[in-house]
Amino acid sequence: MSAAAPHVPHAVGVSYEQRLRAAIMSAAPMLDSRIVPLAARSEALNHALAAGLPKRRDDLWRYADLRYLDSAPLGPVAATSPATDAPVLPPRLPGFTRLVLHNGRLVTSLSDPCPALSRDSTPLVPVRTRHERFGWLNDAFATDVARLVVDGQAMIEVVIASTAGAFAQAAHPRVEVSLRENAELVLVERHVGSLGDEGLVNLAVQLHGAPGSRCRHLRWQSLSEDAQLLDTMQVALDSDARYSLALLQLGSRSARSSLRVSLYGRAAQATICGVSVAGARRTLDTSLLIDHIGADTSSTQTLRALARERAQLAWRSRVEVAATARGTNCQQSLKGLLNNPGAEIDLRPQLEIHTDAVRASHGATTGALDQNMLFYLLSRGLDADTARGLLEWAFCEDAISLIDQPLLRRQAELALAERLGNSVAQEVVA
Amino acid sequence: MSEPMLLIRDLHVRVGDREVLRGINLEVPAGEVHAIMGPNGSGKSSLSYVLAGKPGYEVTSGSVRYLGKDLLTLSPEERAREGVFLGFQYPIEIPGVNNAYLLRAAMNAGLRHRGQPEIDAFDFLQLVQERMKLMRMDESFLARGVNEGFSGGEKKRNEILQMLVLEPRLAVLDETDSGLDIDALKVVAAGIASLRSPERAIVLVTHYQRLLDHIAPDRVHVLARGRILRSGGPELALELEKRGYDWLLDEAA
Repeated sequence: MSAAAPHVPHAVGVSYEQRLRAAIMSAAPMLDSRIVPLAARSEALNHALAAGLPKRRDDLWRYADLRYLDSAPLGPVAATSPATDAPVLPPRLPGFTRLVLHNGRLVTSLSDPCPALSRDSTPLVPVRTRHERFGWLNDAFATDVARLVVDGQAMIEVVIASTAGAFAQAAHPRVEVSLRENAELVLVERHVGSLGDEGLVNLAVQLHGAPGSRCRHLRWQSLSEDAQLLDTMQVALDSDARYSLALLQLGSRSARSSLRVSLYGRAAQATICGVSVAGARRTLDTSLLIDHIGADTSSTQTLRALARERAQLAWRSRVEVAATARGTNCQQSLKGLLNNPGAEIDLRPQLEIHTDAVRASHGATTGALDQNMLFYLLSRGLDADTARGLLEWAFCEDAISLIDQPLLRRQAELALAERLGNSVAQEVVA
Repeated sequence: MSEPMLLIRDLHVRVGDREVLRGINLEVPAGEVHAIMGPNGSGKSSLSYVLAGKPGYEVTSGSVRYLGKDLLTLSPEERAREGVFLGFQYPIEIPGVNNAYLLRAAMNAGLRHRGQPEIDAFDFLQLVQERMKLMRMDESFLARGVNEGFSGGEKKRNEILQMLVLEPRLAVLDETDSGLDIDALKVVAAGIASLRSPERAIVLVTHYQRLLDHIAPDRVHVLARGRILRSGGPELALELEKRGYDWLLDEAA
């Protein structure tokens, strides 16, 4: 730990706005204009100040557990030495180029040479596309960026690692991805570690798919059990761009993801499948917005949430079809499985259509394990634990099986089996 | 004389407030095939579920003995491992659990219960392939989710396939013949018949004579209003086919 690391006071009772201003003053020397231009940072800070903290009655935020933001630090601290404070990294994925962002900073010594990594200081996605308050916060405080420009084909793994140091801190990791025309990218984004229960990881990911591009994206969140995560992701797709997103939300104490996918080009496609699993008193809240703007665009969502013990899981999934998006096809399937009477799942599918000639379907159900399925398995001689484990696995696998890239699917299945912790799932994927 | 394989004495069962079985007496010795016929709502499926141990079916009095043991004290999975098999009238779809996995897990549960080693993967595949051939099922079924997207006929074949793999001592087949076309009925009947042996007993719950044309029953019982109204030989089924159930219900009234 660098002795010069500034310690931003974050006493309870000091308002969010005051703490934001204090944080920006302390962090000023670290806020490089090559990451985000200073004018943009300043504008973002003003937006963040104006937005303030979400109120509990705000429908977009009512399920997020953000109480820690009353006292959590907001600004980054100075870089630590990677040699003395190296994060524990997950095993490598064969064939992938690895980039490591540690506490918001790209660590060259832990990363592979990556031809797609751009040193250009121009942000790849215009700042005005921001839609969300913690995205602004990231713009203001980002200390580094993994800025990727993909031509041709690439397989890239971005590990976003966090480790708590001597000072409570916020890290603002930032990833910007631009796929050029007809480029193909397999992107694995892994979240590991934690800044502790006094820290905050505030991630921003932006991805743009040019015409004809193809991106398969696995977001694999397996943060430590005390981690607090805010996450803003924006995806914009030009004509004929195809984007497949697989979400694995398996870790953290409190996580809030705000995802927005804009299908602005003609015939752009987004396929999203996701699994959230939480136990204890953890809270995972995800808000997904899909904008159909271009004609003949399509989106499908298959989202599964499994809540154990006293966990709270929420999925808001909103699809908006603009007047320009004739011929849109959108499907939503949201299901929740409550494994315990004290657990809570809130699924909110929303659909707003401003044009004719749209095919749309949506469904959302939450319940306990299907007793008929359970009895069927018991009647074949399986013991109750095995039968339950198998049904939990099957519930989640429903979404994971849609991952069409074999390696990603395999990784997702292994991660899920481990998270479920049941021997059946591990046997099934073995 | 030793006790029959299945011995049901004065069995009363409730589901919620409703008494669905009102004093069933039935004996099924090893080696025999018994048919249980009766109108809709007579309690046939309830009897099947009670034998398999489905939750919600509360035995208020009477007893069920199987191979000399009190069947009612066993959990559903223990019954299965002891060799009781229920062929479901409406087999349950379980997307995400593949057939091969379920078959193998079920088979190994039985083997472990009997203190035998688990089956080797190759031996298992060979066994299943043989049985699938008998049931005229394509191997692709193995990789599919349990009954997922299966037609009615495919589901029934799959039930019989499971039975052939598990080789139960007592098979209770609840309307396995319903929803089958003539060819599928022949296949299913051949599957069931192949299991007929002196060590096993088979209880066929059915509405119609047509399955019994392929598998001649040793005894036929008519179940109505939660009781067995009459028992007889195969000729009783033929008579029911001709005359329906009303005359029996009238006699019993």
